[in-house]
Amino acid sequence: MKLSKLLLIALSVSLFVSCSSDDDNDESKGQYENGFFILNEGSAGQGSVSFSSDDFSVFTKDAYTAANGTDLLGKYAQNIFFDGDNAYIIAGGSNVINVVNRYTFKLIAKIDSGLANPRYGVVKDGKAYVTNANTYFSTNNPNGNTDDYVAVINLTTNTFESKINLNATGNRIIEENGKLYITEPYNSDKLLIVNIATKALETPVVIGSSADTIEEENGTLYILRGPYGDRSEIVKVKLSDKSVSRITFPESLDGAGFLDIYENKIYYTVGNSVYSIGTSVAEASTTPILTASLGYLYGFAVNNNHIYLADSGDFKADSKAYIYSLTGSLQKELAVGVGPNGFYFND
Amino acid sequence: MTLRIRFAFLLLMLCQLISAQGDSIKLTEVVVSDANLKKYSNSQSVLKLSDSIINRNEALLTDLLNFNSTIYFKEYGRGMLSTVSFRGTTSSQTAVIWNGININSQMNGSTDFNTISGSDYNSISVKAGGGSVIYGSGAIGGTVHLNNDLAFYNRFENNLKLDYGSFNTIGINYKTNISNEKWSAQIGFSKNSSTNDYKYLNRYTWRGEQRWNQNGQYDIITMSANAGYKIDSRNTLKLYSQFSNTDRNTSLVVETETKSKYINGFNRNLLEYDGDFGKFKTNFKTAYIFENYQYFADNSTNLYTYGKTESLITKADLGYTLFKSTQINGVFDYNRTKGYGSSFGDHVREISSAGLLVKQDFSEAWKNELGIRKEFTNNYKSPVLFTLGSSYQFSKLYNFKLNLSRNFRIPTYNDLYWDEGGNPDLKPESSYQAEIGNVFTFKNISLTQTFYYIKIKDLLQWVPGKNGIWSPINKDNVNSYGAETLLGWKKQFGKNNFSANASYAYTASKDEETKKQLFFVPFNKVTGSVAYSRNRISAYYQFLYNGFVYTRADNNPDEIINDYTVSNLGIDYDFKFLDSFKLGFQVLNIFNEDYESLEDRPMPGRNFNMYLTLKF
Repeated sequence: MKLSKLLLIALSVSLFVSCSSDDDNDESKGQYENGFFILNEGSAGQGSVSFSSDDFSVFTKDAYTAANGTDLLGKYAQNIFFDGDNAYIIAGGSNVINVVNRYTFKLIAKIDSGLANPRYGVVKDGKAYVTNANTYFSTNNPNGNTDDYVAVINLTTNTFESKINLNATGNRIIEENGKLYITEPYNSDKLLIVNIATKALETPVVIGSSADTIEEENGTLYILRGPYGDRSEIVKVKLSDKSVSRITFPESLDGAGFLDIYENKIYYTVGNSVYSIGTSVAEASTTPILTASLGYLYGFAVNNNHIYLADSGDFKADSKAYIYSLTGSLQKELAVGVGPNGFYFND
Repeated sequence: MTLRIRFAFLLLMLCQLISAQGDSIKLTEVVVSDANLKKYSNSQSVLKLSDSIINRNEALLTDLLNFNSTIYFKEYGRGMLSTVSFRGTTSSQTAVIWNGININSQMNGSTDFNTISGSDYNSISVKAGGGSVIYGSGAIGGTVHLNNDLAFYNRFENNLKLDYGSFNTIGINYKTNISNEKWSAQIGFSKNSSTNDYKYLNRYTWRGEQRWNQNGQYDIITMSANAGYKIDSRNTLKLYSQFSNTDRNTSLVVETETKSKYINGFNRNLLEYDGDFGKFKTNFKTAYIFENYQYFADNSTNLYTYGKTESLITKADLGYTLFKSTQINGVFDYNRTKGYGSSFGDHVREISSAGLLVKQDFSEAWKNELGIRKEFTNNYKSPVLFTLGSSYQFSKLYNFKLNLSRNFRIPTYNDLYWDEGGNPDLKPESSYQAEIGNVFTFKNISLTQTFYYIKIKDLLQWVPGKNGIWSPINKDNVNSYGAETLLGWKKQFGKNNFSANASYAYTASKDEETKKQLFFVPFNKVTGSVAYSRNRISAYYQFLYNGFVYTRADNNPDEIINDYTVSNLGIDYDFKFLDSFKLGFQVLNIFNEDYESLEDRPMPGRNFNMYLTLKF
């Protein structure tokens, strides 16, 4: 056990060294620079990662396999987060985080202990904080909704260090000023707050059910919730005093999906439509910028003057990502993998 | 053993001939458990696998049917969940019939062929093509029949087969037959288990360690007891009873996955009465079938989800011989299924049906069949099912067959009631099927060629719906067409007995809208076997070629499972203690083929098995 860990460290260090020495010899850091990744969840098969350059001239459908051959990425790819030259790909169904060079996608290590249905991760000061859904609630598993935790991972050794129990459900996570902010859309109506220094839970903020995407802008969290059969809302939580204000949507915008903030504008989705308002505007816009023709919107981002949409597809075949201009004209359609669920920018 | 029986047994040993009629061996004393299989399949092709063939294959049914029939199998690793595609249809469009009763799961509509061990039955038949009029839901691509036939003559026979093979694979199969002219009893026990920790050929982890099949243990126990009693020359009572439990871990795709476990079992009881009053024949059946499963998402805990169904099936079959050449059967049945589970609540489903079967033999050469059936239930709208068939023997050499049928597959408990997502407003999947069969018999050679066309409507598909919740809908239509060729040959030169079989299936199964081949349906599948015996020794070789399959609905050429050829070689020697005392040795996957039938689910390389078969 100890020997294999030592070996792992030695191996990862040596790989790391070899990669960085490559970088020294070469102007380009690798073929996946200046572009974005589309994470494909996978279904019966493994998850995968597609890459497109910002100008769409370079496209790789399965960057992980291209770089690592037969190595398996894992099932149900959920999230990618970055630190330095590394990208961390979470495969929730396989309890593993694949550590790769973000520019070459060569595998450096796998973090494969201390994880139980890992979901999303963030990095602060050389440590990753990854939410874990752990077991799911059922009548004979009453603890399913209180056993979620944040795994603390040392990114120098790529090993699991400790657990922060949430006593609630946790999913999406962001870090701001030494604190973790966590939402979960199915079984929680609270914004969880974890102090990284003390590893302790602070008093949560009640925001309402079905809260999913979180963004931070100028000291305020913007959280989108789209409860079934009730009005959608953007919940604003001021970080300084945890005070809450809301933009309640009209009924026509029930079932809101995703939110992103880009250049002082809030972009949000309802069904296949994308809307936007200024960050200081108090009312929701009901005029879409665009309405995409896709099955089920499964991934969303706004960046680099573009709006990025992913179609879930039917999980039986490859699906598509669509890139629009900020004014809603279609720029590019990309044939990606099965179940694309997120966009990650590699600038 | 009487000489006659010994002769019949020898015939069984030699004859792996795939006879289209399936009744080249006649033991007059035997009462078959599923009379309709023989009676109403003149216009279709039935492949009968006798116990000698069953004994030549690995214990679980997947292996037997994979190497001896045109059915395509998708296995989640050796011994794991195994589902079929027959004539390009889905896994719930092949019905498994136990002594005449449809035993596909009420919960998911299909049968896992790795939970059934072949030796628990006297014979296993594979009938290609539709059969919903007689066998009900799921008989679209074809039916697999597991039969326990009771014989009424004086005997006390015991069969014991012990297997020991690679990966600590152990098989114990015991069967005893006790009978006289009035009574017949059959008691069987089988236990097949394996630690199943085989190495994955040419696969290593990122740390450079050899990869192997982790968490693949299985243990399958089945007990059966069957009895028949001839009250008098006209009245017979039969009771079939079977209990089985499969305790199986689910092998890991990636080493870091949570180890899970799946336990499933069943209990089947069938009471049957046969009355034969000359022109008037009756058959009453009452069956109670129980199935359950427990799924442990993490097998280090005691937490599980479960599902159970209990079905009561009653069936009355009244037959009348109008003229010498014409028989009519009226079939009425009533099914009541109660299902309950952690994911689909508690629901009762009642289905009644009425049907009419007519068989008319104009002459010895020209035989016709007609059947019509309609189900009545509140759960879904049921189509009128029919079958229409004709068989004409032009000469000794050539037999022509024609069959048209309409068949269906009803929505399952999961489809209707799954929480969340179940859709109570589903229609059954339904199909029209046409097939033409040509059977050529020349000396020791038999060749059956069948061409078919199936039009399947309203395929049930689970798709992501509102709020990302998956839900089944009647979505796709599929057209499947193809050809099946079965070839059999046997020959005796002095003391040397040779036999050979081959099958080839070409299958094109296309989504009507996209024109794409269904994923996990191979265009080509070939099986072949040769056997040789002389005195006490017998040897055999069998192979399987499975053409490539697409793994994605869009037929992406980069996303396929490669074709593979797997061969087995076996030899046994009869020491002739007792009635028979055979010691055998098998090399499985003799050429060490690196293959898988499902992505990232490698199958074992070359491995070995030893067996001892005793008859006393």
